Amino acid sequence: MADSTAVTKPILAVQNLSKSFTTGGPRILNGMTFHQKPGQFVAVVGPSGCGKTTLLRCIAALMQPDEGEVLHRGQHFDDPPSWLSVVFQDYNRSLFPWLSVRQNVAFGLRGVSARDPQIMAALSAVNLEHAADLYPWQLSGGMQQRCALARSIVVKPKLLLLDEPFASVDAQTRIDLQDMVMGICRSMQLSTLLVTHDIDEAVFMADKVVVLSTRPARVVEEIAIDLPHPRDQLVTKETPEFLRLRHHVYTLVRQQAQKLPRETQTER
Amino acid sequence: MQSPGLATLDPLKPDAARRWPGTGRSIQFVVMTRAVNSAKGAAGAAVVVAMWETVRGLGLVDPRDLPSTFAIVRAVADGLRGGELASAVAMTVGSWAPGLLLAAVAGAAGGVALALLPRLEIAIRPLLEFLRPIPSVALIPVALLVLGVGLQMQLFMIAFASIWPVLFSTKTGVEGVDPRFMETGRVLHLRPGARILRIVLPAALPAFATGLRTASAIALVVAITVEMLTGQGGIGSYIENVRLNGLVTEMWAAIFVTGVLGYLVNAVFMAIERALMPWGPEYRDR
Amino acid sequence: MTARSLTITPLAWQAGTIVALVAIWHWAAIFHPAVYLPPIQRVADGYIRLCHGELLFSALLPSLYRLLAGFVVAVVVGSVVGIAMGSLRGLDPWVRPTLEYLRFIPAVAILPAALLLLGPTDQMRIFVIAFGSVFPVLLAATDGARRVDPTLIDVARVSGLSTIERLWRVVLPAALPSVFSGVRVALSIALVMMVISELIAADDGLGFYILRNQRLFQTANVYAGVLMIGTIGLILTLTLLAVEKRVLAWHRGWRGLMEANRG
Repeated sequence: MADSTAVTKPILAVQNLSKSFTTGGPRILNGMTFHQKPGQFVAVVGPSGCGKTTLLRCIAALMQPDEGEVLHRGQHFDDPPSWLSVVFQDYNRSLFPWLSVRQNVAFGLRGVSARDPQIMAALSAVNLEHAADLYPWQLSGGMQQRCALARSIVVKPKLLLLDEPFASVDAQTRIDLQDMVMGICRSMQLSTLLVTHDIDEAVFMADKVVVLSTRPARVVEEIAIDLPHPRDQLVTKETPEFLRLRHHVYTLVRQQAQKLPRETQTER
Repeated sequence: MQSPGLATLDPLKPDAARRWPGTGRSIQFVVMTRAVNSAKGAAGAAVVVAMWETVRGLGLVDPRDLPSTFAIVRAVADGLRGGELASAVAMTVGSWAPGLLLAAVAGAAGGVALALLPRLEIAIRPLLEFLRPIPSVALIPVALLVLGVGLQMQLFMIAFASIWPVLFSTKTGVEGVDPRFMETGRVLHLRPGARILRIVLPAALPAFATGLRTASAIALVVAITVEMLTGQGGIGSYIENVRLNGLVTEMWAAIFVTGVLGYLVNAVFMAIERALMPWGPEYRDR
Repeated sequence: MTARSLTITPLAWQAGTIVALVAIWHWAAIFHPAVYLPPIQRVADGYIRLCHGELLFSALLPSLYRLLAGFVVAVVVGSVVGIAMGSLRGLDPWVRPTLEYLRFIPAVAILPAALLLLGPTDQMRIFVIAFGSVFPVLLAATDGARRVDPTLIDVARVSGLSTIERLWRVVLPAALPSVFSGVRVALSIALVMMVISELIAADDGLGFYILRNQRLFQTANVYAGVLMIGTIGLILTLTLLAVEKRVLAWHRGWRGLMEANRG
């Protein structure tokens, strides 16, 4: 492996990462390690409540780990680096309700007016040009999430983090959004890290799936997904290779979910 | 457990035997948190005192106008121990309480009437909307014309100024009574009088109490203002008198005592509100 | 009852009340003349005199200046301190007990102290007005800043905003609906404090004007002054509501959406 790391330095290296909510309290993440190559699409799956969002917040440098480290291109960051952007889970809580769609997209760009052509370019990449002057409350769930997506790609990030971005939209919208995100990430040659609990989504979209254990979470297995691009919702999902991979990931996640102690399951 | 820092004492451990009522947190944790916060609060107040003394020490203000905090504390003690300050406070409370009581009775009656008699409300709405933006203190000169100087005028001004919050919140409270309660009353064959007494009033009580707390603060301001303006006995005239006689330390002492009075008045009415509506939003927030 | 009569009847009643009140006043002023019952015509004359000429500069404008200056100071200081307290959680336990004491001091009581330290000046009156009205804004801003959605703060951090930028561009707008509710309360207190400060320690302004006319038994002018103060309160409240409606247009739509989602 030494030769391959010398050629392509990982854009993201998670090394022996541990984290708990309170000092000395129970761990949420426990010695987690995985790497992501530039341009790679990685999906992180695991049983619900296993600490995926905590992991994402550590990776985004919104939180510092208790042990281990997160390196972006070999460097440590105390605050989110400028070339990283995040699409958060709850679209209706991550858009600024007092800004129009256009202004929301322009939010992270310094010294750029909301009328700049960059904004319209990002909006047209998510098919939202027609809604530029609407406010978030006037948009449907899918449109709000596309607006959040436009806001994160307009800064031309190198690494895009997606935290269950399609969790609260309906099935059809979800499929459309998956295709849209894959298209954008490939055309911009983005490194993308998707956190999801949907196994189909993970296998369909990613180049590599990282399966997490139940709490305290660690990496159970990393699975390379070598399905050819471009992927199609019907064709790809019917190939034997897709079904085999899906079966494999599903079995791993289910094994983990069954390991959950009884009281932890009923707690929520 | 080796290092029982605050975080490890907490949170919501199923095995923690004893909990602080209503929080689910261990008694240790709650007591520790409160002790730490009280210490911080005391430190904050100490900083303010230190700033006061610094301003004095540096001579930014004439030190005669800004006596030392120690002197003020001594003046408070002297004034309260059988001094004039104590009787001034008593006189202010003596006019504040009956004035507020008048406002409470009249405001509650008016609020209920306005809510239950929509025709009356419609008819006198212009009058209410006309009086509302006028600050009651602006009517002190008018009251002086009509009633002259004296306790009667002071009581009238206190009651007049503090009736509005009682009236409007009682009205809102009564209007907010769930119509199903009223239907229940009719099904149970309660007569209209009994329905008001046994359903409407209890349901509107929390709103009335909130209005009364607002009114209590207004009543205090008006009582003191009238005293300052007319020389009617009480804290207001006491503060003005000691200032005019150059008794600066006594003036500051009286001002801080007034603050304590304001604080206590609020605390008492807050306690009443809590007793009336343990579920209310005020209980949760402050 | 038809819809038409439903809308017309209240108006008729209200017009009836106003006419009746004016008529009773007028009748009483003619047949039972008393010091406190001047003819309405003279009150109207006094009101109009306040709007132009010498009285405009010696009564109306000084009052307006003090009121607006004190109110603006209260809004700015209250918002800034409140937002700082609400977003820097650690600050709250240090400052809160002192503030809880200060805010219950009846603002009239500090007037003599302000008079002693600042003299009978406009700074003194502005200070007293601001002291009285700052607390509702401060507490509302603290509350609003504390309730900002943490996801929005995360978005701001990922966008690389500094702490100051974050307070200005995220926390302030998010807390604005709450701040406005405090500002409305502050306005009415500011008006009260303006009147009190002018009744007790001023030689111009509307408060001084009504008190002097009371001493001269010029009752019509007293009423005219009171009406003028009410007019100022009404106009400022309506202006504030209009500003609020414009600035917080997003909030009504957003709140409606959140409620629809919940229901």
